Amino acid sequence: MSEPWADRPDLEALMPAVYAELRRLAAHYLRGERPGQTLQPTALVHEAYLKLQKDRPERWQNRAHFCAIAAHAMRQILIERARARDALKRGGGAPRVTFDEGLPAQAGERSFDMVALDAALERLAALDAGQARIVELRFFGGLSIEETAEAMGISPATVKRHWALARAWLARELES
Amino acid sequence: MAGAGARELSPDWRRVGALFDEALELDAAGRERLLARAAETDPGLAVEVRELLRAHDTSAGFLEHPAWAVAPELLAESADAALTGTRVGPYDIREEVGRGGMGVVYAARDERLGRTVALKVLPRAVSRDAHARERLAREARAAAALSHPSIATVYALEEIDGEMYLASELVRGVTLRSTLAGGRLSGSRVLEILLQLAEALDTAHRHGIVHRDLKPDNVIVTADGRVKIVDFGIARTLTPPEGVHPLTRTGMAIGTPGYMAPEQLRGDAVDARADVFAFGVIAYELATGEHPFGGSDAASLVERLVAERPPMSQALQPPALDAIVRRCLRGDREGRYTSGAELLDALRGVTDGAPGTGSRPLFVRSAWWWKFHQVAVAAITITNTVTIGFRKAPLGVSGKWVFLVILVLATITTTLRLHMWFVSQVHPASLLALRGRVLRWVVICEGLLILAFLGTGIALAFAGPHDALAAQFIVTALFMLLSLLVIEPATTRASLS
Repeated sequence: MSEPWADRPDLEALMPAVYAELRRLAAHYLRGERPGQTLQPTALVHEAYLKLQKDRPERWQNRAHFCAIAAHAMRQILIERARARDALKRGGGAPRVTFDEGLPAQAGERSFDMVALDAALERLAALDAGQARIVELRFFGGLSIEETAEAMGISPATVKRHWALARAWLARELES
Repeated sequence: MAGAGARELSPDWRRVGALFDEALELDAAGRERLLARAAETDPGLAVEVRELLRAHDTSAGFLEHPAWAVAPELLAESADAALTGTRVGPYDIREEVGRGGMGVVYAARDERLGRTVALKVLPRAVSRDAHARERLAREARAAAALSHPSIATVYALEEIDGEMYLASELVRGVTLRSTLAGGRLSGSRVLEILLQLAEALDTAHRHGIVHRDLKPDNVIVTADGRVKIVDFGIARTLTPPEGVHPLTRTGMAIGTPGYMAPEQLRGDAVDARADVFAFGVIAYELATGEHPFGGSDAASLVERLVAERPPMSQALQPPALDAIVRRCLRGDREGRYTSGAELLDALRGVTDGAPGTGSRPLFVRSAWWWKFHQVAVAAITITNTVTIGFRKAPLGVSGKWVFLVILVLATITTTLRLHMWFVSQVHPASLLALRGRVLRWVVICEGLLILAFLGTGIALAFAGPHDALAAQFIVTALFMLLSLLVIEPATTRASLS
C-alpha cells in the first residue's frame, strides 16, 4: 500500500490511535441508526479528527494531514473486514449471525468486490502512487476534491484530472 | 483480471494520462479525431486510452460515494468488535461472545464486584426511547428476581454515557440453534433438554414473567449439558422496531420458521401460553430435526398457525411426548397448557414412564356434546327424584325410604356431574384427572338409581292406576342405563380424545 506517512516515518505511530478512534466512532454511529441516513460523507473522519485533536493537539500538523492517515486507516478497517467475510464465505463455516435489522446496500450503488478494489488500487499505486492516494482519500477517507487537494498539497484541478483517470482505470480493472 | 498484464502492456502512464485528459475535454467526434491521430504514432496508447474513455463513460457514480456508504455492512462488522479491549463504566470489555437481533454481547469484567458478566449493548432505539427504557427497566427488575439454574440471571441495567447496557450472567456454550444444526439428538437428551426448559418456564411463570421470545437462539447449551434461557422477559422489548408487523422481521421472515404463537402474531396480549407454544415448536424441532411449519411462506404459515390443528407432519416418540407437543402447538391458546407448571407436570409423566396427564387423551374438539350430556343426565335425575318425592303415596310406607335413598344417590351423582361440567368450563386442563377420580362414584350411584327407578316403576305398575308414572320411571331407568353404557363413553371419546 502507498503509505501516507512514507515521507514522515514518525507519523506511523499515529496510526493505531486513528484506527481505534475510527472504529469507536463507527460503532457509535452504527449501533442505533442505519448508516445511509446518518453517516455524512466525511462525518466519521472529521469527528475522529476533532476528538483526537483535542486529546493530543501537538501530534497533528493539520486536518489534511490527519485525513490522509484516517483514510488509510479506514481502508485497512474495511479491507480487513471484507477479507474476513470472504474467508468465512469460502470456508463455508458456520453461518454468521448478523444484525436482524439488516444493513442493506444502498440502492443504485454499483456493487463490487472491496478486496478486488484494494488489489487494483495496489496495482494503480505501482503505476502512479499519487493517483492511488487520491482514490484512498476520496473513497476511503470520504474527502471532497478540495479537501483532497489540500491534503496532498496540489491544485483541485489536478486532483480532478487524476481522479477521473484513476477511476476509469479502476473501473476497467474491476470489469474483468 | 487484467491486473499484472495491464501494467506491463500499458504504455507510459504519463502519456496515457495526458491523452486521456485531452480527450475528456472533447466531444465524441473530437475524441475520434484525437485518437486516430494518436494511433498513427502509438497504436497501443490509442487503444488503451479508448478503453479508459469507455470505462469512464460507463462508470458514472463509481467510487463517488465513500466506501462506508457503499458497503455499510463492512463497517457494521468492524463496529461490533470496536468495544473489545475498551472500558465502559465499571466494565472492562474482554471479548465478543455473540451477536443477534439485540446487538452485540461481550464478555466483560465488572470491576466493582470482580465478576465476569455478559454485557449487551442495547440498540439506540431502546436507549433513546424513554418509554421503551422505562419498560425495559421494569422488565429487567422483574427478571432479576428470577433464580433458576436454567435461566441466565439478569444482574443490572446500566446507562453509561447515554448508552444502555444490560449485564447478566455470562453463559458459555453454544445456542440450541447450533445444536440443532448439528443433527438430531437422542430421545433421552431431547427429554432432558425439554425438562430443563419446562422447569425454567415453570419458575418464571410462577413469578409472573413470560419470556415472549423463546427460540433456540435464546437457549444456550453449556459444556456440561445444561441449558440456559437468556433474556427472560426482556427479549421482546429489546427487539425493535415497534409498529412493524412481526412477520416482516427476520426470524419470522419468509422461509424462516417462527416461534410466535398465533395470538402473538395477531398482536394480542400474550401470557404464559405463548411460551408454551414456543416450547412446543422447540420440542418438535429437537425431536424431529425439523421445524413444524418448515418451508412455509409467511401467508400459509399464519394460516396454519391460526387453524386449530397443530401443524405437525411427523408423530413424535414416545406417543406421550407427541400428545404434549401437539397440545403446546394448538392454535387456540385455551387448548394449550396454561403454564410451565402444567407443562412440567405432563413432561415428568413422560420421563417417569408413568401415564401422567401428558399421556392421557386430551380435551379437545366438540366438547359441547359431552357438556350437554352431563347437564342433561343431571336434569333427568333431579326431575325424577322430585317426581318420586311428590308421588310416593302409592308405594306405601316403604315409599319414604325409597325416596330418601334415591334423593341421596341423586344428590351425589348430580353434584359430581355438574362439578365436572363446571371444571370443563373454567379449567379444561384438569378435567381428565378429575373425571378419573369421580367417574367410579357416578357409575355406582347411577347404577343404584337405575335399580331404584326400575323397581319404583314396576311397583307402581302393580300398585294400581299409575301407568303413566310407572312408564316414566321405567323409561328413565332404561335411558340412564343407555347413557351410562353407551352415550357417556361415546361423548367422552368424541370430546376428550
